[in-house]
Amino acid sequence: MASVWVPVVYVILVFGGLIVFSYFYRKRTASQALEPYFPTHPDRNAYVTLLQKTDPPTPDVILKAALVRRAMTDVQRVMRIREDKPALQNLLQKGSIGDDLWNSLLAAEKELEAEIVEVMAEANSFVEGWGPVIFQTANEMIANEKMRSIFELTAEKKTELELKYGKKAHPQILVPQVNVSLTPNPPPSGPAPSGAPSSPSPPKISNGSSAQTPGGPGSAPSSDGEASRSPSKAVGITQNH
Amino acid sequence: MSHSHTHAPGESHSHSHSHGPPQPQAQPQMMLPTPDPASQAIIEADFRPVSLIVAPEAYAVFCQDHKSEKCEICDQDYVGLNRLAKILATNPAIAAPPPPNVVSRNLSQAVNHTKEEGNTLYKQKKHPMAIARYTMAASIAVQRPPWETNQFMREELSTIISNRSAAYAESQDYISALADAETVIAVRRNWSKGHFRKAKALVGLGELQEAKEALQLGLAYEPTNAELSAFSAEVEKMIQNGDEKVKDEA
Repeated sequence: MASVWVPVVYVILVFGGLIVFSYFYRKRTASQALEPYFPTHPDRNAYVTLLQKTDPPTPDVILKAALVRRAMTDVQRVMRIREDKPALQNLLQKGSIGDDLWNSLLAAEKELEAEIVEVMAEANSFVEGWGPVIFQTANEMIANEKMRSIFELTAEKKTELELKYGKKAHPQILVPQVNVSLTPNPPPSGPAPSGAPSSPSPPKISNGSSAQTPGGPGSAPSSDGEASRSPSKAVGITQNH
Repeated sequence: MSHSHTHAPGESHSHSHSHGPPQPQAQPQMMLPTPDPASQAIIEADFRPVSLIVAPEAYAVFCQDHKSEKCEICDQDYVGLNRLAKILATNPAIAAPPPPNVVSRNLSQAVNHTKEEGNTLYKQKKHPMAIARYTMAASIAVQRPPWETNQFMREELSTIISNRSAAYAESQDYISALADAETVIAVRRNWSKGHFRKAKALVGLGELQEAKEALQLGLAYEPTNAELSAFSAEVEKMIQNGDEKVKDEA
């Protein structure tokens, strides 16, 4: 007669087989490479490249600026993932997409969290306490950049509309290009004594942001889009009206 | 610590990611979550060096092959980076971009002043000069440090461009007025004035139907706006008159 143990052994075999199989199967799926959700991170690559330059080492201001750009890309990705996640979840439930895309998204989300922690750490290494602030800064800079580009595209929009309606805009009056600019001599204004009352940024800021006009090859003028038509006359304007 | 920023003269940066494995944050006062080494490894694996060169004197970064800030071929765009670097370089007092609530007052004053000058010229019917003033004010407004709360720049820019659009409309340059109005709407979508200006420009161009649509969009954002409703009624009347004329001629 069969012993009492036979059914027990049978049960153990079945479940044991299941456990062993699931262990190996999970290992296999975990090791399969996931399609990256985002393409390469150019700002991160640029930042690390700059960091690695030792001959000569890049100036701190450039590194800080590169770090802020990296933070900006991260912020954009966070928003994108936040938008995509519920939508993808919906599609997944309905069965329109496969698991792969969802797993890619989750992996990207995790990577992004690690990336954010890293950026905060790097920010803190430059200036104490900069870590939390850098992402707020990045947020504002994204909005700022968007507004700037809208503003600077006004001229192109004009040509587009001219084509659309078949009428011409009036010829541009030649306005002196107002770059609150950095003339080659030291800035004519005396901003140092007055200084801004409550902000840490002295009025020299305006000079800084347009200093690119003399030097930058092909950089967009920091004033309005009409600059393309009007002659570029640097007018030194003091901030202290 | 591989993450500490030791940039004493003579010492090389110890940030670099290609030198050895990263160490988890051991700075308890930071209260940061320690990064997961596996994710960090993924990030490191994803790194591709970028071919760029640095011009330390100019505080700028360029693409290596073509020495340009914004290179389509290399697919690199350093305009924003260089702009920020220059701002930081010319203001050594600022160690890092401050939190957004720090605002530069002088700039607002300058912008306002120029805008008021433009307004005076507009009232005096000297429209070309008013336009020039508004353009100047806008260019000053755009030079706000980018890390400040975008509220101010948004308001300033939209007001100035909307005034400029009005000045263009008065000069019968409706295309420019329309372009400006589109800009205002793109910058500040829920503002009724932007839609109003757009409608005005479209009416000037003779596109009554589109003007009506613009007004309806504006009313969707601000249903109780009297200006928009009044103008909308006017445009309706113009459309009806136009239809009647066509019917008469037919």
